[in-house]
Amino acid sequence: MVRMVRKFVACLGLAAALAVAAGMPPTAFAEPKPGGTLVWVTQFNPRHLNSAVQSGVATGMPAAQIFASPLRYDDKWNPQPYLAESWSVAADGLSVTLHLVKNATFHDGKPVTSKDVAFSVKTVKEHHPFKSMFEPVTAVETPDPYTAILRLAHPHPAILLAMSPALLPILPEHIYGDGQDPKTHPANMKPIGAGPFKVEEFKSGDYITLVRNENYFLKGRPYLDRIVVRVIPDGANRAITMERGEGHLLAYEDQLREIARLQKLDHLAVTDKGYEGVGALVWLAFNTRKEPLNNKAVRQAISYAIDKSFITKALMLGLGTRAYGPIAPGSPFASSALEPYELDLDKANRLLDEAGFKRGADGVRFSITVDYIPGSPLQKSLAEYLKPQLKKIGIQTEPRPSPDFPTWAQRVSNHDFDTTIDAVFNWGDPVIGVHRTYLSSNIQKGVIWSNTQSYANSQVDQLLQQAARELNPDVRKQLYNEFQRIVVDDAPISYLALIPYRTVYHRGLANVPENIWGVMSPLDEVYWETPPK
Amino acid sequence: MALLVSLGHRLLHVVGLLLAVLILNFALIHLAPGDPAEVIAGTMGGVTEEVLAEIRRAYGLDQPFHVQLLTYLGRIAQGDLGYSYYFNLPVVQLIAERVLPTLLLVLSALILSVVLGTFLGVLTARKPESGFSHLITLFSLAGNSAPVFWTGIVLLILFASVWPIFPVTGMQSAIREPGFLAAALDILHHLVLPMLTLAIIYLAQYSRLSRASMLDVLGSDYIRTARAKGLSERKVIFKHALRNAVLPVITMAGLQFGNMFAGAVLVETVFNWPGMGRLAFESILRRDSPTILGILFFSALIVVIANLLTDLAYRLVDPRIKLK
Amino acid sequence: MTTVNLNPAGLEPAAAEICPPGREAWRMFRRNIAAVAGLVMLCTIVLVCVLGPVVFPVDPFEIVWAPLTPPGESEYLFGTDYLGRDVLAGIVYGGKATLVVGITAALLSVVIGVTIGALAGYHGGWVDSLMMRITEFFQVLPALLLAMALITLFSPTLTTITVAIGIVSWPAVARLARAEFLRIKQLEFVRAARAISASDARIILRVILPNALPPLIVMAALNTGTAILFEAGLSFLGLGDPSQMSWGMMIGSNRDYILSAWWPVTLPGIAIFLTVLSISLIGDGLNDAFNPKLRER
Repeated sequence: MVRMVRKFVACLGLAAALAVAAGMPPTAFAEPKPGGTLVWVTQFNPRHLNSAVQSGVATGMPAAQIFASPLRYDDKWNPQPYLAESWSVAADGLSVTLHLVKNATFHDGKPVTSKDVAFSVKTVKEHHPFKSMFEPVTAVETPDPYTAILRLAHPHPAILLAMSPALLPILPEHIYGDGQDPKTHPANMKPIGAGPFKVEEFKSGDYITLVRNENYFLKGRPYLDRIVVRVIPDGANRAITMERGEGHLLAYEDQLREIARLQKLDHLAVTDKGYEGVGALVWLAFNTRKEPLNNKAVRQAISYAIDKSFITKALMLGLGTRAYGPIAPGSPFASSALEPYELDLDKANRLLDEAGFKRGADGVRFSITVDYIPGSPLQKSLAEYLKPQLKKIGIQTEPRPSPDFPTWAQRVSNHDFDTTIDAVFNWGDPVIGVHRTYLSSNIQKGVIWSNTQSYANSQVDQLLQQAARELNPDVRKQLYNEFQRIVVDDAPISYLALIPYRTVYHRGLANVPENIWGVMSPLDEVYWETPPK
Repeated sequence: MALLVSLGHRLLHVVGLLLAVLILNFALIHLAPGDPAEVIAGTMGGVTEEVLAEIRRAYGLDQPFHVQLLTYLGRIAQGDLGYSYYFNLPVVQLIAERVLPTLLLVLSALILSVVLGTFLGVLTARKPESGFSHLITLFSLAGNSAPVFWTGIVLLILFASVWPIFPVTGMQSAIREPGFLAAALDILHHLVLPMLTLAIIYLAQYSRLSRASMLDVLGSDYIRTARAKGLSERKVIFKHALRNAVLPVITMAGLQFGNMFAGAVLVETVFNWPGMGRLAFESILRRDSPTILGILFFSALIVVIANLLTDLAYRLVDPRIKLK
Repeated sequence: MTTVNLNPAGLEPAAAEICPPGREAWRMFRRNIAAVAGLVMLCTIVLVCVLGPVVFPVDPFEIVWAPLTPPGESEYLFGTDYLGRDVLAGIVYGGKATLVVGITAALLSVVIGVTIGALAGYHGGWVDSLMMRITEFFQVLPALLLAMALITLFSPTLTTITVAIGIVSWPAVARLARAEFLRIKQLEFVRAARAISASDARIILRVILPNALPPLIVMAALNTGTAILFEAGLSFLGLGDPSQMSWGMMIGSNRDYILSAWWPVTLPGIAIFLTVLSISLIGDGLNDAFNPKLRER
């Protein structure tokens, strides 16, 4: 872990560091064989393919194939050259200069220039839901077609991660700059990018066909001729498709029974790498303004009563990973010294007794409801698990189903809930995906995935504000350690586990990305070592 | 002339009916708790107040209910079902993409269940008390008593996993052979399991109905006459009786069509069939109101058309029915 | 519209002869082995679901063993579900909710259907037109989709689900009731009742309704089966009520594990299948018993 942090430190470029990258990412041992079709199975049906105005994995995965971005990452959180062949962060942290490759073109043949970068940063800043990514960017200067300088209002430690494939796709200004709203731009259904693959056909809810970009700026790549992304919402269907060899790559799979079964098959490999970047947590959030959950002892008691080992071992078949705090394990900032809230029913009962919640004649102290995002088997199972489990400490728990996602979002964002299971991603840097949940300034009624717990702690606010401007990773880590300690103790959220995402792929495939962004990065190095019959 | 007047009358009636469907569905969806602007915002990954206000303005959600309704009706009159909140595509286009797979599934299942059901019904009507007859009745009842998704899952596991002779998912293979014939065969191959699943459910109804009407017809005077004339039993049944007995089956198939059309949602979910039912289900889960409204309206339209055609076919086939 | 009777259950309404369903029908029913078997099966199921919880008082939600333990590998006869809950306890406790949903929804559909159908058939004229327009309105709307939309309007509780199923399944009942009322009101004894100037309500409820009952009873029975299947289908799609143990809920929450564990889905599925099958057999038997034409043979 320490080593990872150091590397991270090194690449962020401390004092006027000019982190010119060391050439191409390492190539595989054998000579890659070009050709072949990859059938990529996914449960997600993207709304459209423009990740500049849409967060989430569904759009992020195909968009990383279609669009190129300034930087990409390796598996140790080190930025790597992509559209930017080199870059530098100024000593005062108030500007970032990108030097672009000179041979990159969009799928329609037009060159990729610094103007497109400036346009893309502006578009993402204005329209992407993650406002914190480019909020400090005041201007993007383009002194020449291959140099872009981002001016910042204050030092911004997340700026390089925000230039990852999934977060800053470089859009063609000559298409998106026509004045239409980029959120509803017609080109979003079949976008033009500079990435390794071009969109051939997008049939919503069914498939996306991507074909090799012959003029990709990284010579010789990509190796695959075609990628067919197949949308299969049903888990059993996905598993049989992979089992029968009709699908070759399955990412973001969280149905562990199926994974355990597929793991045993000779032609498939399974990995949990490639999910460090998103840092996907599943947790139980409390409405900290509502009786009796406004009582810290009650929240702690519930945390002690949940058997996290049962969740990761029995429910997740031993494939689950525990999460102890707001920053997902796998991030260099995750603290390793947090109260683990191991199962302790006696302590939970004692806390509740001391807080004055006595059991009634029926053994019940009080009742709460548990919301959960509909459509996720994992979340539903966790909500159902709480009912018998919290009964043991005298809390009557009823799962409150929402018929559709908007109903859930409406209830939670308007603070009309007791507790809810939720899945929240870290998105690389805590500034992007963690701060939003805890800043008291982000208690915004009506906005989902804001601080819907109504958690307010001035000390936490201060720590986060400091961390958002601190470029020294060691100092930043100290700040985050303290933040995590306080939040875990205050328990506005009970952290249940890392979402056990897995990538399943055909063993004949080589170079399936295992960097921090996994399949949300370009598959331009993937090739068929031994193609299926 | 009388026919034309009658048809005009019916057409007027149908338009009124569809208008009622539109208005009531619109009201129903808008009664629902939940802010459509948040739905739209939520699908983008969560946003700020200003963006919410902007969305409300852009989609006309800040207008009073009656204004929204009138705008909606006006657009429909021009054949525009609005834009999907989720995909930001015209609903007409979304439905158009999905309607053919559903039609293919439902029509093939309908034809299979009607033909096989009538055949079984006739067989059992000839010897209603035989063991074979009871067996068929029991078998078709059993098909009708199992939940449709359950039958589908069982077929899926048996014929796609344990004994993999049929494909698992979708309507076409991911990697396709060129050529029309190859594509048609590929689709047919994918169609078998979902079609069987849907047909099994409805088989019982047609076999029971044709059995009942066959028994009815066989007891009638003109069949007795035909028998008295010394016609062979086969001729009596297939030439004289069946023609009359099949009438209620046709009617029911027409009525049933709409139900099957919407009921396909379960089968489409199990087999990942890219049809309208799944679109409807997913749109309900996303509360994509324009799409839900569009599909409800379109289904109603299909049912109305099917009923009109059935009615027409009935009048043509059966001279006994007089125009009112 | 044609006046041909088109009830979707494929029933033949009783024709000319009018006699209250009585001993004769029961004699016919008894002779039908399949129907009697259905009756016995249904009685057993109901008995288990009603008495089971009294005899074995356990909490069906309790986690008792390792998740997805196959049947026979623990003291739990039917194995455990994905959370480690006893599948047998779930089936015994869930049956009540399932049956209650089925029966209540069917009753609701019959009450609405008969009211609308009776008014239409008895009064005729503009009342008939109006009632039939309403019926048609509900008939052209796809039942399953409408039910799903209704359930999303409110939250998916057992009550909402029951009401939604009832609301979408009455039109067939209304058509049948209307046809019966149209036919019976022409008959001699109804005219006689009119002649002694009995009130409309009295004629509808006391004179016509009892004679229209047989096919309606059959339809109510069949609707119960359909409603149970409906609830299961909604649960399968995730629109069930997770805080109430029911067969549909068991299937809905375990369906994602079907490939590695067949029992928590299959066993409640079989329970549904047997219940609906027995109801269908009884309905068939009743239909034959009430149908005088068949009786002649």
